[in-house]
Amino acid sequence: MATLKINDLHVQVEGKEILKGVSFSMSEGETVALLGPNGHGKSTLFNAIMGHPRYKITKGSIYLDDVDLTHMTTDERARAGLFLGLQNPAEVPGVINSDFLRAAVNATSEERVSTYKFYKLLDSATKELKMPFDLATRSLNEGFSGGEKKRNEILQLMLLNPKIAMLDEIDSGLDVDAIQTVADVINKLEGEGKGFLVISHYARLFDLIKPTRAIVMVNGKIVLDGDPSLIKRIDQTGYEFIKAELGINIEKEENKMNEVSIGSCAVRESIKK
Amino acid sequence: MKKIIVDRISNLNLSTYESELSFEFASVDTSLYLHNLKSESNLNFELLENAVLYLSFFVDSTLENVKINANLGKNSKIVVYFADFSVQKNKLEATINLNDEGATCEWHLASLSSNKDNKDIVVNIYHNHPSTFCRIDNYGVCKDEGKLQFSGISYILKGCHQSKSHQNAKIVVFDNNCVAKAKPILKIDENDIEASHAASVGKVSDEHIFYLTSRGLNLEEAKMLITLGYLKPILKGFNESIQNEIDSLIERRLSNV
Repeated sequence: MATLKINDLHVQVEGKEILKGVSFSMSEGETVALLGPNGHGKSTLFNAIMGHPRYKITKGSIYLDDVDLTHMTTDERARAGLFLGLQNPAEVPGVINSDFLRAAVNATSEERVSTYKFYKLLDSATKELKMPFDLATRSLNEGFSGGEKKRNEILQLMLLNPKIAMLDEIDSGLDVDAIQTVADVINKLEGEGKGFLVISHYARLFDLIKPTRAIVMVNGKIVLDGDPSLIKRIDQTGYEFIKAELGINIEKEENKMNEVSIGSCAVRESIKK
Repeated sequence: MKKIIVDRISNLNLSTYESELSFEFASVDTSLYLHNLKSESNLNFELLENAVLYLSFFVDSTLENVKINANLGKNSKIVVYFADFSVQKNKLEATINLNDEGATCEWHLASLSSNKDNKDIVVNIYHNHPSTFCRIDNYGVCKDEGKLQFSGISYILKGCHQSKSHQNAKIVVFDNNCVAKAKPILKIDENDIEASHAASVGKVSDEHIFYLTSRGLNLEEAKMLITLGYLKPILKGFNESIQNEIDSLIERRLSNV
């Protein structure tokens, strides 16, 4: 059973440290809810684990079993068994969805998948997701509605067969029925032994996929790692209890515009002198 | 000057033509395919009321000072697919006149500029009447020391209300010595219209690369797939054997990317 191990991960974006020592581990077969206020590093963690070039790892490590992913390229991490369902999947004009899916399936599977087998896979996956098949023949995400983009992410998840999948607000943009459909797929894949690390701001998705664990990220660190009852508590009372019980001050995003103008005034003053 | 009058449903396939050529289309659906265009040639298309013309060009030799002119009558429609894989110094100028109500132009062009190609592609649209419609999509790939320029002006004259004009020009650039320009211009003298223009010139987007590589494609595969996305959509304007020909040409010309 594969285990993803994050150890003391520090990540910078454009010179600013966002993750300040994240450590946790999770295995296949687990569904872990990743909670935390906006702007505290949840999406950054996902992008850093997947190897987005804009997210610089300055310290710490990412392992999948004994394989060190920390310095691997994004595609190597994908082939090692990681998947990231994006919050805002890019629209790539001219690239036909099915061409892309086929290239991705061939890249991640050990042997080349025949055209026939691929279309059978695609057909059954789109049916399961209640997706019109023509979405597969259109340009990748171009002109897709928010819900269609999210279904397309889940379609990729189904075809690529990763060990651990990270899903970033996969439920945003989905209507109630679509959330149920997506949750059914996640539950089925979990039953097959895959691991899920899931960000969502809504208890509804978690009600449906029943996480086995919940972790909470505040100020770029994991501050709580516990049972799924945390989800309900946060849904009802918010994050304030963290300050009261753990003594952790939840940082608010500061407004930098003022500092800059004050700075330039001060510079002007000092030049005068 | 030779003038060809087309008055029944037909698929024309001209292998040779004189450098000055005029067509007149009556109210029928016609597909016309032309492979390579003579230097300094003028092609004129007159679409009478309700005529529909699908015009496909595939150029893989030179394209020197070619002019395409079209005059569209009431409720007529011209759909152009231009696959430009010409070489050396090339200039193409298209002028489309939308002269009566319901006249519609759809223009699709894909262009590859490689080695020392120097290409200048101009598409001008004149909305000369209310309720006329036009959509221009120019996609280009620029590599080696290639130069590529898309320009063109959509004119909506005063009084031509309810007209719609959209222009889209995108070029992906591979090498430092490329020169690429996209200048979609709108000149509008009427308020009650719908118009947009979009232009982008640059390297393959990092976000697109991240998305594709996060699904296991390596960097080269991802770049190639995105680049093909600029050129391959033009294929739908051609029949299968020509599609295959253009497809293998694209693969050959991009093999060293």
